[in-house]
Amino acid sequence: MKLMKMMGISLMIGVLGTSFAWAEATESATPEEVIAKVNQAAKYLHEKGDSAVAEFNAKTSQWIWKDSYVFIYNCQQNRMIAHPFRPDLVDKPILQIKDTKGTLLFQKLCEAGKSKNGGWVEYYWDKPGDTVPSRKISYALSADVSFKVGIQVGAGIYDDKATLEQLTGLIGKMTDPSQFPAP
Amino acid sequence: MAEAKLGNPAVVGLAGFGLTTMVLQFHNVGWMELGPVVWLGLIFGGLAQMIAGLQEMKTGNNFGYSAFTSYGCFWIALVLILIGNHYGIYKSSTTDIGWFLVAWTLYTAIMWIGSMRVSSALAICFTLLLAGFILLDLAHFGYPYLTIVAGYELMLCALTAWYIMAHIIYMDVFGRDVLPVGKPWL
Repeated sequence: MKLMKMMGISLMIGVLGTSFAWAEATESATPEEVIAKVNQAAKYLHEKGDSAVAEFNAKTSQWIWKDSYVFIYNCQQNRMIAHPFRPDLVDKPILQIKDTKGTLLFQKLCEAGKSKNGGWVEYYWDKPGDTVPSRKISYALSADVSFKVGIQVGAGIYDDKATLEQLTGLIGKMTDPSQFPAP
Repeated sequence: MAEAKLGNPAVVGLAGFGLTTMVLQFHNVGWMELGPVVWLGLIFGGLAQMIAGLQEMKTGNNFGYSAFTSYGCFWIALVLILIGNHYGIYKSSTTDIGWFLVAWTLYTAIMWIGSMRVSSALAICFTLLLAGFILLDLAHFGYPYLTIVAGYELMLCALTAWYIMAHIIYMDVFGRDVLPVGKPWL
């Protein structure tokens, strides 16, 4: 009986372990998808205005895909506007937030988002569902919303290898394809 | 000339215009959300100012008749645009609202010339109003940070409108011109 019990437990651990490994193999969002999604979200806010924000706080929406999600924040008013996985951060100040390495990520995001075509920022943040931070590189872009100032939209990739140079070059490619003829 | 028997609709029109404009600017500079702006825009800057405008017809004051009725309608239209966006009825994008504001900028330019024939204070008010509209136009066509500049600028405009309102009321209650509005510019 004891042997059966031990075998049962080992089997369970084996199955759980494998399923965790399988979960890790869930698709990762690509930087191209992130740039496209963030630009789409900024346009959506521009078209629909303030009332569009509620969608971005929903647990499932077109703005959450693979391991990535769109979040919205206001640099002028220093607060989070929408975040599907951290409702505790919504309406709270953001500019003082530091990651585990001490990076003031929202200050950097706000700075990067001021550029005409946006910018990428590297920091450490939990993947949805994880409790340990991973290296994340997020793309920030300003959104033009009527009678509002400082709204920016962001989304990121969790990646240990991509460099900021590569990703910044990608912005150029996606905003002005004529500059980058097909190989 | 102040009339003892009939009230001057301008004291209501200017009050509605001044206060509602002030509160919208509190929002534009980031101090508050749109809630109170919506309701003030409907009732005070909107309905009350529009009624004051219509009352100007009997005084023969065409400037006031046009200005207060028009700006009263401006507020009601703007609020309905915001409500429409919220409920997804005839949505207006930032660009759409920008063009709406451009139309009002053109109307304001016409009235600005007229205001220079009334008094200095009114000319200053309309100059500030025109500048504010131009800033908000630009803010809706690619320069969103100008919303904040427009915010502070239009607060000054609201203050001049209140000044003119106070001039009229204080003339009544003090029996003399406590707050002069100055000679017309043209």
